[in-house]
Amino acid sequence: MSFVVPIGPQHPALEEPEHFRIEVKGEEIVDVDIRLGYVHRGIEEALSKRTYMHGLFLAQRVCGICPVSHSLSFLRAVEEIAGIECPDRARYIRTIGAELERIHSHLLFAGIAAHEIGFTTLFMLFWRDRELVLDLREMLWGNRVHSSETTIGGVRWDIRPNQVPKVLRNLAVLEKEVKHYIDVVASDRTILARCANVGVLTKQMARELCAVGPTARASGVDWDLRRDDPYAAYGEVPFKVITERDGDVLAKILVRLREVLESIRIIRRALDAMPSGPLRAEFKGRVQEGEATGRVEANRGELLYYVLSKGGEKPERVRIRTPTYANIPTVKPMLVGGTIAEVPIVLASIDPCFSCTDRITVVDRSTGKTQAITKAELRGPHR
Amino acid sequence: MKAEQVVQLIKDYVKDVKMTNERRVTVITDKQRYREALSTLKANDILHLSTITGVDLGEEIAVIYHIDCGGPLLNLKLFLPKKASSLLSVTDIFPGAVLYERDLMEMLGVEVENHPDPRRLFLPEDWPEGNYPLLKEAKK
Repeated sequence: MSFVVPIGPQHPALEEPEHFRIEVKGEEIVDVDIRLGYVHRGIEEALSKRTYMHGLFLAQRVCGICPVSHSLSFLRAVEEIAGIECPDRARYIRTIGAELERIHSHLLFAGIAAHEIGFTTLFMLFWRDRELVLDLREMLWGNRVHSSETTIGGVRWDIRPNQVPKVLRNLAVLEKEVKHYIDVVASDRTILARCANVGVLTKQMARELCAVGPTARASGVDWDLRRDDPYAAYGEVPFKVITERDGDVLAKILVRLREVLESIRIIRRALDAMPSGPLRAEFKGRVQEGEATGRVEANRGELLYYVLSKGGEKPERVRIRTPTYANIPTVKPMLVGGTIAEVPIVLASIDPCFSCTDRITVVDRSTGKTQAITKAELRGPHR
Repeated sequence: MKAEQVVQLIKDYVKDVKMTNERRVTVITDKQRYREALSTLKANDILHLSTITGVDLGEEIAVIYHIDCGGPLLNLKLFLPKKASSLLSVTDIFPGAVLYERDLMEMLGVEVENHPDPRRLFLPEDWPEGNYPLLKEAKK
């Protein structure tokens, strides 16, 4: 006889409100259903009611972790329709902004993953070191996360020569720490017991279900838009695309940590090669008729914006496909066959961002009844 | 795969090929041929459907399949009359389309036939039937 365990929309293991309906037979998960939409805010419709410049700030607020990726994807589409060429120096600054964001997002993920397996010390360490990057973002652009350094046609702030030494210093500290964490994650017995061969997504499944980003790369899919569809300064700054073969939770953690090292290298090279020149091209506020699809490799994977303009100051339609939205179908094959205790870490392994995407209940298969777990029952096991 | 090669693959099923640059191709197809175009792409190891966009154009609804062809992005577009907007599901070709088609159904009222799981995705259960938020005539 199977039983349905509901997780969410409000649950201590979820940072955001989503509902997962997990059908179990004893400890084993036999089916999963996900309900989205608890934080649907109608941003696509809202974007078509705002001017492009106003919309850029709204697009950045789709996600509380990756505003730079959202702005770059939106800008890629808008600048293509408007025929605006972003100056070279601004392209490098955009790349540095995007990579600083990737580092803090990946460390945030690594911290949450450590927290989900009860490794609180490691969680603290990851988040301590994440501060190094957030400090840099604050120094460069005045805000830790929502820095809004990009604008239509370029960037709003320069990176001044006297700011570079601190960037390099913090990155050097971070590089040393992340190398140490990779050794820890790959060898610590607790981590291996909880993460190796858990929540496996095969390469074939990853490709068929159209998985994106580190979730796909951890399953061996060699695909990164920074290399395959370059934007900003990525076509000019060499870097390696990181993949792992196993597709388990461990691979997903390692891919992201190794990407942090690559991001550090990208920032160093970009700082080194950054040309001088103007920071922004003129944008007159109006965009001619046309349509364009902008996409970038956000921290969680391919982020796509489709913009349709009928001329004027406002877009006719904006479509946003966030990376977590694309990765939701992969959750089921990762969970089915595993045990109920694996649910938090497997869910965390796609680094879900539900506010971007816009829920798990446990179902009794023999009676077909759905049972929602009460707050007291949920808190029970933690006491 | 190069953009030209992608166009060559599906040339029998499309018209109005527009190449904005070497990484962006927009093609127009129709309700009779879009599934054949998608099957041909799949047979050539193009498996990544980035998403499906629906646009209310007034009298018509444009449905755009954004497909990653290993670098170039193909936008395969077809138009459906708004009064009878229905098409066949492509989940048998691209299993990753399952959520995007649910999105298209509830937001624009496009009927996707043969969909394995035609429930609502983002909208709440008590959302009024027949009110599609992204249509121009949606009740605000």
